[in-house]
Amino acid sequence: MIEIIKKNKLLTAVSLAYVFLFMAMPDKAYLSVKNSMYYIIEMLEIMPVIFILTSIIEAWVPKEVIINGFGEKAGIKGIIFSFLLGSFSAGPIYAAFPICKMLLKKGASIANVVIILSAWAVIKVPMLANEAKFLGPNFMGLRWILTVMSILIISYLMTVFVKKEDIPIGEEKSLSKATGIDIKEQYCIGCGLCEKLMPQHFKVIDKKAKWKESTLNDTQINELKAIIDKCPVKAIDFR
Amino acid sequence: MDIFTASLWGITGAAFIAALVKDKQKTFNSIKMARGMMKNMIGEIVGILFLIGLILTFIPPEVIKNILGESNLFISTVISALVGSITLIPAFVAFPLVGSFVDAGASIVPAVAFLTTLTMVGIVTFPLEKQEFGLKFAAIRNALSFVFALIIALTMGVIM
Ligand code: SF4
Repeated sequence: MIEIIKKNKLLTAVSLAYVFLFMAMPDKAYLSVKNSMYYIIEMLEIMPVIFILTSIIEAWVPKEVIINGFGEKAGIKGIIFSFLLGSFSAGPIYAAFPICKMLLKKGASIANVVIILSAWAVIKVPMLANEAKFLGPNFMGLRWILTVMSILIISYLMTVFVKKEDIPIGEEKSLSKATGIDIKEQYCIGCGLCEKLMPQHFKVIDKKAKWKESTLNDTQINELKAIIDKCPVKAIDFR
Repeated sequence: MDIFTASLWGITGAAFIAALVKDKQKTFNSIKMARGMMKNMIGEIVGILFLIGLILTFIPPEVIKNILGESNLFISTVISALVGSITLIPAFVAFPLVGSFVDAGASIVPAVAFLTTLTMVGIVTFPLEKQEFGLKFAAIRNALSFVFALIIALTMGVIM
């Protein structure tokens, strides 16, 4: 029970306000519900669309292909790839950090990484549908155009101010020296993929993957390399 | 249901059927994943929707118009952008909230500023960003995003 309240602080507070209101000023409470009703109906109309769009994008946009082909892409093509990758990804901006870090290591430019991060944050296809619903298609369209232009300018300015040397890129460790696995808990979404693929090494506890200590031989290191690539949020790395 | 929503349903429905035909298992798997994401948000969504009712009932439109209206546009826009930078709610629930303010008479300029900084600028996630990309990258990216959020907002105000 306490867990549920903790997880839904806002909902709890609003519910309490309503309970109090229904006792103290029932007419105001009814009015509030009535005022909410319009937005609830609108939300119900758009939610299934967003839900299904998110699922379809997740399943059918070949993100792995985009990510893997990144190193060589430069110029206009790289910019377009960056926008696509950001726009078709799900999750909050910090979920993009490990993926962008990996792309930097693979040779992506700072400008493109900034584009991915920004597009990831503001331009999401299902969210555009939601925005158009509540604020109008014109509003959404104009904001989209202005945002894309701004992101391009920001990415250019960033390359002026920040050089690659300013970014702490962990030394590419030689794999034979790998002694174990590090899982960045703040990124792990507990999808369970790593456990499914290598139950002898990973276990998901409380929605976070844990590494089962063990010594590694060369075959295992190679197998682990595949999993590191597969983790959807790139939360796993060698230690 | 307006035309816009109806056509969205049409497009999504068609894409969904195509996805099902192509690979049923894969599609169902991704639905499962999306359902997990939704479950995490549903409490916040319901909370915000009912909060909108409270706001509209207890804050009269004149007050909203006064504070977020055309009169002191620049200050209200900067403050909205600041609020957007420090809050971390999913954009998903921000749209109906902002929509209700605009319906009540708020100007779109602070609304745009809030929506843009909400997603692009992250004070809460700043330590994480700094750790991954270094102080310089994180600081300059967030600062630039903040400035451009204001520019986007003011431009929208001029055009619309
Ligand atoms: S694959 Fe990645 S995100 Fe999924 S449980 Fe394992 S570490 Fe976490």
